[in-house]
Amino acid sequence: MILTALASGSQHGYGIITDVQEISGGLLRLRPGTLYTALDRLRTDELIEADREEIVDGRLRRYYRLTPAGASRLGAEAARLQAHASAALTRLDLAGGTAT
Amino acid sequence: MTDQARLERGYRRLLACYPRAFRRDSGPEILAVLMAAAPPGRRRPGLAEAADLIGSGLRMRLRPGVPQSARTVRAAVRLMYAGAALPTAYLIIVLAYLGVHGMQAVRWPHRASLTAAQVSEHKAVIIMVVTVTLLIMTALWLWMARANGRGRNWARILSTVLFGLTTLNLTSVFGPPGFRIGVGGPGASGIFSVLMWLVGLAALWLLWRPASSAYFRPPGFTEAGHSAQPSSRT
Repeated sequence: MILTALASGSQHGYGIITDVQEISGGLLRLRPGTLYTALDRLRTDELIEADREEIVDGRLRRYYRLTPAGASRLGAEAARLQAHASAALTRLDLAGGTAT
Repeated sequence: MTDQARLERGYRRLLACYPRAFRRDSGPEILAVLMAAAPPGRRRPGLAEAADLIGSGLRMRLRPGVPQSARTVRAAVRLMYAGAALPTAYLIIVLAYLGVHGMQAVRWPHRASLTAAQVSEHKAVIIMVVTVTLLIMTALWLWMARANGRGRNWARILSTVLFGLTTLNLTSVFGPPGFRIGVGGPGASGIFSVLMWLVGLAALWLLWRPASSAYFRPPGFTEAGHSAQPSSRT
């Protein structure tokens, strides 16, 4: 979900939290502790990287962006989910046309 | 002190759960997000927020912190954390065994020449020695896991030396009866020693794989195709 939030461009921590909430239709609200643990792991795995920093109202704001490896991982995961969804819809359709 | 300042102080205290290097790098940034996300009028961190920060900080302290590109080192570090659980588990078993069977469960070199009163006198010492030994083993596993996870080559070498000592210990387990102090039947300590030796062997094999060596090279070492570098987090 964090990779998806970064797919359209770089975002700062609070921006990612609000974006993830929007993408999930309000179902998922990341807490800062959870977010930064995940960001640290994604940075360690070289899927995201720091883009730039700025100071807003005297506080540090760091922007993150996808690395090529992160974009590739997100693309592969999206394709996998899409294939899974297509298979489910096709089977439901065959079973009685309930999916249309 | 204003409500904002009190809230910020509360968050700073909770951020102490995170590793120091991580706090230095990302602490001000997390603090900014926490303050931005806090509802107006809040004077201290909420219970759920506190639980999230404490849990996340502790998880980060325990996580290997090795990039995915260094798969073999990552697996070795995980095995070492599993190895750290073994002495602790054995300690619990030993203490439970002593609780049920008393000092009759203790085996030592001159057991036969001691009276029941003498055995009883040594009870506290034996329990302390066994406990301290097993806790030191746990600490060594954790230390080696962390240091190897940080890409320290000395840790890889020291792990190898410690594995040598574990091998020596293994030979004494299967040595002549009455050769060493032990608790429970020889089977219990034998299984424990063999398990620990096997975990150590697997971890060491992974640490010395060619794929791992790139991770342990000093910073600044450049070689075509070498991308795995130790995490800067720790």
